[in-house]
Amino acid sequence: MFPGPTLLTAVTAMIERALNRALELDPAGRQALLGTLGNPVQLNITAPLPLVCSLHSAGEQVLVSGQPASNPALTISGKPLAFAALATGDDQVIHDGRLSISGNFDLALQLQHALQQLNPDWEAAIAVHIGDIPAHFLGNRVRGALTWSRQAFQSLHANIEEYVHEESRLLPGRRELKVTFDDIKALSLRTEQLEARFNSIENRNKINAPENP
Amino acid sequence: MSEQQTPASQTQTGERPDDVTHFGFRNVPKSQKASQVAEVFHSVAGKYDLMNDLMSMGIHRLWKRFTIELSGVRPGHQVLDIAGGTGDLTMKFSDLVGSGGKVVLADINASMLKVGRSRLTDRGYVGNIEYVQADAEHLPFPNNSFNAVSIAFGLRNVTDKDQALRDMARVLKPGGKLMILEFSKPSNPLLNKIYDTYSFTALPLMGQLIAGDSESYKYLAESIRMHPDQETLKGMMESAGLANCKYYNMTGGIVALHVGIKP
Repeated sequence: MFPGPTLLTAVTAMIERALNRALELDPAGRQALLGTLGNPVQLNITAPLPLVCSLHSAGEQVLVSGQPASNPALTISGKPLAFAALATGDDQVIHDGRLSISGNFDLALQLQHALQQLNPDWEAAIAVHIGDIPAHFLGNRVRGALTWSRQAFQSLHANIEEYVHEESRLLPGRRELKVTFDDIKALSLRTEQLEARFNSIENRNKINAPENP
Repeated sequence: MSEQQTPASQTQTGERPDDVTHFGFRNVPKSQKASQVAEVFHSVAGKYDLMNDLMSMGIHRLWKRFTIELSGVRPGHQVLDIAGGTGDLTMKFSDLVGSGGKVVLADINASMLKVGRSRLTDRGYVGNIEYVQADAEHLPFPNNSFNAVSIAFGLRNVTDKDQALRDMARVLKPGGKLMILEFSKPSNPLLNKIYDTYSFTALPLMGQLIAGDSESYKYLAESIRMHPDQETLKGMMESAGLANCKYYNMTGGIVALHVGIKP
């Protein structure tokens, strides 16, 4: 049955090695993460291939296993992209339901917080191989590129939003929509009150009507 | 393969069939197998890890890792690693059981135990590991002592496998897990053919070149062929009193991990 124990074990071994290598670059973040993995955490990947993976700490290491944990404190289920979002610090991935949680919900939030706080010192790792100055130069370039990309994305998003709402008038603006929704809500409320009042008057007329005309 | 086998009734020493066992493709008196296996391991102990890496192309690490993943060993557990050799499994078990648990590395062969002890100590694995020179057929431990017992690539060298399985079951605590990692029978005929060619040509050659001993590696290939296949070993585990016995084929069945629980 694909992927088979040998291949699956190779994958978990690679993940474990990469994870622990990254954690070595952020000792404070590692302690926070290890603190959340004292009891096993099980990850159920639901699609495209159902896979189970469990994490727990042993000493200063995070152990990754391709087998279900015997008694997990927390089970997180979802698609690979949702797990990737969790790993990269997306703070909405649990609240918007992309990942479903069973077990200790507080632990899930602690784990999410620990992952958000992780900040491995990649520059130090690169400096070991290519020296401090080239590593710092490279680090600055990468940081600059990431900042520029983030700003460019936000700017593009804002421009598209402005065009759709203000210039082409394809969609109403957020504030305009909010006022309309508030009006609809008020109208709905007043209609319900009016209906209740009609019902009340109708019932009162029935009670006051003589039994034998 | 069958041409190289000597029928059980034709031992060189004229022993009765009941008193003989196989040593590779040869039949030898049961009383001599342990000493002959010991000679093999005395010879290869120094280069054991290097040869394992070369022969399996490093995949033996994944087989052992899968065994650890399936063991369910937790902090505080007591674990027995039989035929532990140079301590690959013991090292991982030691991490898992922590300071509150204990791992016993047992091996019948003093040379292997010495190499294992030096290797683990050099890597800082001290405090929760004990070293015991012990025969798998007569384990020197009280009943119901361990949460998990493992034997990796060792069972095929044991003279009386049924007795060894019974003794492993005896020392397990109720609910404890026995894990047997061993070479087995590939399920694919083509893979089986390639594997046969590799085992009987490349392994002895590598043994000669690296460890200066081709006979020991010829024995390795022969002993693998004489080892019970997956279903037979599963039946033997059930006969030894273990429950929920199952096996996992790895790398096309070249290796299988058998797991059983003591009821």
